[in-house]
Amino acid sequence: MVDNDILYTIQDLVVEYTTRTGVVRAVDEVSFTIKQGEILGLVGESGCGKSTLGKAIMRMINEPGQIVSGKLLFDNKDLMEISNEEMRKIRGNQVSMIFQDPMTSLNPVQRIVEHLVETIQTHDFSIDNKMGRSMAGKLISRLGIRTERIDDYPHQLSGGMRQRVMIGLGLVLNADLIIADEATTSLDVIVEAKLVDQLKEIRDEFGVSILTITHNIALVAQIADRLAVMYAGRIVELGSIYEIFENPKHPYTQGLLKCVPTISLDVKEQLYKMPGEPPDLTNPPTGCRFHPRCPEAMPICSQQRPELEDLGGEHYVHCWLYQDHPDKSSSTNEVTL
Amino acid sequence: MTEQTTNTNVIDALNDQKIGLLSRIWQGRKWYGAEWYITGFGGLILFVILILAAFAPQISPYDPNGFVGAPFTPPGQGTQTLLTRSGENLAVDPEDLEWVELNIGVQRNKNGKKVADANEAASTRFMTEDEMLEGLETGAVDYIFVDDNMVSEILAAYPGFEIVATGLGTSFPLGTDNLGRDYVSRIIWGARTIMSVALASALLSSVTGITLGLIAGFVSGALDRILSLVMDSIYSFPGLLLAIAMVAMLGPGLVNVAVAVSVVYIPTFFRVVRGQVLSVKEELYVEAARSLGASAFSILTQYIFPNVIPSIVVVFSLNVADAILTEAGLSFIGLGLPPDIPDWGYDVSKGHSFLVAGHWWMITFPGIMITLVATGFSLLGEGLSEILNPRLVKN
Repeated sequence: MVDNDILYTIQDLVVEYTTRTGVVRAVDEVSFTIKQGEILGLVGESGCGKSTLGKAIMRMINEPGQIVSGKLLFDNKDLMEISNEEMRKIRGNQVSMIFQDPMTSLNPVQRIVEHLVETIQTHDFSIDNKMGRSMAGKLISRLGIRTERIDDYPHQLSGGMRQRVMIGLGLVLNADLIIADEATTSLDVIVEAKLVDQLKEIRDEFGVSILTITHNIALVAQIADRLAVMYAGRIVELGSIYEIFENPKHPYTQGLLKCVPTISLDVKEQLYKMPGEPPDLTNPPTGCRFHPRCPEAMPICSQQRPELEDLGGEHYVHCWLYQDHPDKSSSTNEVTL
Repeated sequence: MTEQTTNTNVIDALNDQKIGLLSRIWQGRKWYGAEWYITGFGGLILFVILILAAFAPQISPYDPNGFVGAPFTPPGQGTQTLLTRSGENLAVDPEDLEWVELNIGVQRNKNGKKVADANEAASTRFMTEDEMLEGLETGAVDYIFVDDNMVSEILAAYPGFEIVATGLGTSFPLGTDNLGRDYVSRIIWGARTIMSVALASALLSSVTGITLGLIAGFVSGALDRILSLVMDSIYSFPGLLLAIAMVAMLGPGLVNVAVAVSVVYIPTFFRVVRGQVLSVKEELYVEAARSLGASAFSILTQYIFPNVIPSIVVVFSLNVADAILTEAGLSFIGLGLPPDIPDWGYDVSKGHSFLVAGHWWMITFPGIMITLVATGFSLLGEGLSEILNPRLVKN
């Protein structure tokens, strides 16, 4: 496993939904990379386009949405240019997804083993039921579920077990990238902690890359190597987890981190409340989309959109505070330093 | 000791896995509870009727189309009493009766003639009961046949008569119709007709409706619009009118009636299935399957279809019951089955016109049978929809 190998490159991805009230740009010119064997966290408010981005990576945007432009380079192959049939083969085999709600993401009328065997056989016809069954059994016990339980129906398993089955489905084909869309949101903290641990173990053992989409920042801090912060369809900050937690640059990230509750009893101060509301994406603010809520907004912020600039050490920020612009009296470097 | 018990328990548990299907169904009553008994009851009704249908030639006592009795024989009647004048030594032990030497007075449209013929006795036909009784009194005949249930009334009016033998001939447990056809036979053979027409039409309409519904719901878009429009226009037709039009086009006959009735019910299946597919399609597990690379066909057959089945089962059972009524309606207006095929629906519509005359059994028994079959299918469907759905299994 080479640490810095790039597995997936997303370039200028734009996803639009056509609605009654107008076109919604749920994902707006997003670019980032996912490295081999890393856990990348993607955080943001509800409705900022996290899940859409996750689905777009698998090219699973349904009508009325569509991927308008951009490149999805996976293994140096542009997924936007291959046929639906080829894309179907890549799903599960190379990129797979774990869904938000483990309670509803398994087919209620199929046994666990049928789920797993079907997934195996979808991609490899040569595997017969018996062999698939033994593979499924091994995988399930590897994930901490007793092998006898593969003949159970999903409703007979607990939420945590179901989620582990979902993870198993993602792993059974040795996918290179697993997208975990709010994979732990509906679980209690104990199961969540176990699962998070397991995800890490899986990464260490199988060397897969994991993109965890969540709004639970504490969880991301626990498992992710890098973190991308999304706001209103754009990535506003991207960097290593230490960089962002120690030294958040974007005012949105700063606010977001202040919103995280703590369990220390002696901290009596109120949680930070971010002013304003998330923007309406049918009619987004001009320039930087965060400027109406930004405590440090400048005139230029409402006029022009900043670039996603590298501040060094692969820490990207999408903010005029750290970039040169005509209105600035002093140079950017002085501000940052 | 404890270890021993544990071992036995484990062995029991293992043996439980190896029991046959039937005993597993029987044991199922413990965890399905009320639904199991409902299903069992419905299944039992249908099983009995299926047996009747399957073994109609062996079970039925008469030819369903044969004029085997007097018209309008009430249920349980039809046996005859032989009467004679008392005091003339005409009455002998029934064992010693020389039938072939007798000339028996019989009444028109009564079973006496049949009994006399069966015993190879000569008979003299009278038009009314009064004429016949007068004939015996005046000596025109020495013996007459009267219905068993009339005997006490006649003996009260004519004290000079006496009974020679009673309970002669056969009785008709469910009576006979206006042509003297035995109702037991007609009901047994009718079971065969109704089961084949109703099941064939329900199968035909479900296969068509489910297929179209699955396709329309899954593919959506223009095809869905067109199919829905067609189905809605069929649905907006009065069912019987449509069936009449279909039969008029296809002509009478068992298969044609089944086809005609099935057309009426295709939209019901289509609508239910399409609606279910539309909602199931949006479920997370379908999306999850897609994200794992499942093909459209396997999503349709393994994820969507099994989740639609419970509602299909219910619609199916209700439609079978409904199809029976439509088929009966077709028979009523003479567009259904040819008259030589015994049919409950036909018997009901015929019985309805004789109800005013007091012949209640003609409409009651086929009516009860139709209700029983419909109830059987409903109970079975109701219970099965609970049992088939693994989400509802109680642990």
